[in-house]
Amino acid sequence: MFRKLYLAYGVLILGSVGYAQYRGMSLDSMNQLKNVPKSVRDNPGSYRSVYSGYHHYTGGK
Amino acid sequence: MSSGTPPLEGAPKPQVQAVNCPKCGAAITLRAMGQAVSVVCGSCHSILDAKDPQLAILQAFDKIVAADQPLIPLGTRGKIRGTDYEAIGFERRSIKVDEVRYNWHEYVLFNPYKGFRYLSEYQGHWNDVSVCKEQPIVDTRYSIALTANYLGQVYKHFQTADASTDYVLGEFPWEVHVGEQARVTDYVHPPQMLSQEKMSNEVTWSSGEYMPGRDVWSAFHLSGSAPQAVGVYENQPSPFSENIKAVWLGFAALAVGLLVMMIGFDVTAKKEGVFHGAYQLNRGEPKGEASFVTEPFDLGGGTSNVEVTTSAGVQNNWIYVNYALINQDTGEAWDFGREVSFYSGYDSDGSWSEGKQHDAVIVPSVPAGKYYLRIEPEVDPMHPMVVYTVDVTRDVPVTGFYGIGFLALLIPAIAITWRSVSFERARWSESDHPPAPILNRGDN
Repeated sequence: MFRKLYLAYGVLILGSVGYAQYRGMSLDSMNQLKNVPKSVRDNPGSYRSVYSGYHHYTGGK
Repeated sequence: MSSGTPPLEGAPKPQVQAVNCPKCGAAITLRAMGQAVSVVCGSCHSILDAKDPQLAILQAFDKIVAADQPLIPLGTRGKIRGTDYEAIGFERRSIKVDEVRYNWHEYVLFNPYKGFRYLSEYQGHWNDVSVCKEQPIVDTRYSIALTANYLGQVYKHFQTADASTDYVLGEFPWEVHVGEQARVTDYVHPPQMLSQEKMSNEVTWSSGEYMPGRDVWSAFHLSGSAPQAVGVYENQPSPFSENIKAVWLGFAALAVGLLVMMIGFDVTAKKEGVFHGAYQLNRGEPKGEASFVTEPFDLGGGTSNVEVTTSAGVQNNWIYVNYALINQDTGEAWDFGREVSFYSGYDSDGSWSEGKQHDAVIVPSVPAGKYYLRIEPEVDPMHPMVVYTVDVTRDVPVTGFYGIGFLALLIPAIAITWRSVSFERARWSESDHPPAPILNRGDN
């Protein structure tokens, strides 16, 4: 019983990996936006990234 | 009964006789008349010679020993391996280990055509026991016999202990005595076991097979449910051992499948470079608005991912880039920020380095279309010029998926292996060969 369950689980895992790869999914996180105005092309400063203001690491060891 | 082969089918018809106890006069039912050697009076518990028409007293008691109620009432009939048996005898036996007494129960079953059979019970664990058909071969190369071979099967030594008979009831095919001592040695090959009993010059061997309590209840049509089994018994079959080999074989096959899939996607992925840009930030820049946009580029094919790689020759420095990948026609955008930093130096431990001079991020599921990047770099204004490049690649394999898939396949295989090992450790911890030495603190 466990063997069959494990095989079914394994096939599901392989299927999920294949689907994720086929659909071009990613493990990186990012923000998706809709309807960015076309004026950004002419005036890039009119758009503000949600990631701006990031605090940078400036140390080293 | 007529001569010839007795019928093997149909319910057995034991010869039953009612007699009276010569000590207390209580009525006694002899269920295995002619085959039982001893019978115990249910009233005064005197042990009587069942072969003697006068029922000579073999052992009598001034006071009744601690009574015990059999879980299978004597006289109950049930079917074991397709044959009807009647429970006719019951005894409680025990061993003493480290001043702790461990009790178990044995039931004598009788079929007039098939003879005697036994059931043993210890803390809810049952065994179907019968006398060995031939003498097992014991490995005598060592002081302790570590294995015994019976019918071509090797059994491992489990435990040797001195057992005593503490309480008896019903009929027995041997001359039973309360207080009787026997040297008992058990060998196991789950779900089978072998048991050797030595009493003075007599040695008997019996073989047993583990039987779940629910099967006993079903066989004897007992009311209620069987008592819950406690712990792991010496020949209890592991619910995990059968699965381990199959699961690891399955894991190997699935891991190979995952590897083939990874190679397949890697080979078929387009990995098409669609944009390359090189930029430079001089000391003190940017002075005003830092953001700019790239020339539009085409992302072809169906919905797929896009890799954006940032490379910068930073040395003890950093650059942070805010990106937006924007569809020129629909206004759909993916917004993300990436840092490239690299530090190195020397200290008392020697040279060290930290970070990398490039970074890659994968934008998920981007439909085909015409896109451009909005780029907004940030650098430390006190640092010198920074040169950086931006590359956009369409349809790349994501190796992280395969790592996660591999772990997801591995975890259940490890879990069931761990449970199997724990089960076997629990089994052998009760034996003469515990899996780990018992350390006595304070011993020199």
